Amino acid sequence: MTMDTDEFIKRLAADLQPVRPLRPAWTRALLWMGIALPWVAAVVWNKLMMVDVVQVTADARFVVEQAATLATALTAAIAAFRSAIPGFDRRILLLPLVPLGIWFGSVGHGCVQDWVRLGAEGLTIRPDWDCLPMAAIIGIIPGAAIVAMLRKGASLHPRVTLALAALAVASAANFGLQFAHTRDASIMVLSWHLGAAAVLSALGGCLGDRMLSWRPAHSLVP
Amino acid sequence: MGRNVGEWQNLTLLMRAAQAGDSRAYSELLRTLLPLVNELVRQRYPFLQSQDIDDLVQDILLSVHAARATYDPTRPFLPWLRAIARYRMADSARRYALRTANEVPSEHAPETFVAKDANMSGNGYGDAEALRQAMAKLSYGQRQAIELMKLQEMSLKEARVVTGTSIGALKVSVHRGMSALRKALRSTK
Repeated sequence: MTMDTDEFIKRLAADLQPVRPLRPAWTRALLWMGIALPWVAAVVWNKLMMVDVVQVTADARFVVEQAATLATALTAAIAAFRSAIPGFDRRILLLPLVPLGIWFGSVGHGCVQDWVRLGAEGLTIRPDWDCLPMAAIIGIIPGAAIVAMLRKGASLHPRVTLALAALAVASAANFGLQFAHTRDASIMVLSWHLGAAAVLSALGGCLGDRMLSWRPAHSLVP
Repeated sequence: MGRNVGEWQNLTLLMRAAQAGDSRAYSELLRTLLPLVNELVRQRYPFLQSQDIDDLVQDILLSVHAARATYDPTRPFLPWLRAIARYRMADSARRYALRTANEVPSEHAPETFVAKDANMSGNGYGDAEALRQAMAKLSYGQRQAIELMKLQEMSLKEARVVTGTSIGALKVSVHRGMSALRKALRSTK
């Protein structure tokens, strides 16, 4: 059954409700960080209180990695929010690659240094499942918040959007986890932290259609 | 779609007013979009019948309606509209392909049971004229709710977007409309 298009337009326009345009992507990303970071801090609070600020800031590599991790979370969130707006500029998808590259490069450099210093022993990957429960807890609120915020948009590429959102959540969680346990060898950070971020992003990509699919209405086409 | 810059700026202004709830501006916007969207659909699917084109155009306008909060008035209108139109056309084509992939052409409808009731045509209510008259007697709100949710199979949330009424009001309209239809059709038997 098809309505006359004129009548259809009349009905759409009748009793039109005002809508508030979505805030710019960077504002929404900052808002999300405002939700995610206090939660991350709350989960690792006990460990955070024991951090020796002088010692931490003296470790240049740690500072660079943490800054890159945080920047990855922010830029991935910006890209995710922007990708949920129809007609977005696709170059925005490249934005998280810059801090992600710095993060990856710094960890990779650490791996090489460990290998030079300790040989094969410096590149041994050990099981680190103890971290998993805390990582899951850290990710709950930031994950739920970003999905809820993204659902207010109209993601025409839900796989890309959710993969970016997952990268943002994984990066924010990694930022907190780095304070929560003793300084890991670079190979452990590479395999468990960056690896987890990659797995989570891939999972987000697979679930994107189910979680963010935008179907405003059933087709009228018979 | 060779329009001048002033016309596109006008679309942005109309959409901004529509976002603020100005239904006259919104109506003007949709009417301005109509030939543009028509052109987009005809370019992509030149083989479609005009009825199917109308359906697809309405689908796209409905999507524009649902996504209107995502439009940023500081950005160009056309890329936003084109992205929605492309998505909707691809989505329709995908669903059409899925539907036809599961269809098996058959000259004879398989008979299930001998009983007359089990072999009625699946095309809907038998007396179309009685149904049309019963629908016409419904109030506008009830008729709209039934058309959207029963005939077009929209969910409550989707119907709420189109009608702008609350989910509770839609439930009431469907419930009362269906009751009135049942009563009217029973009396015609």
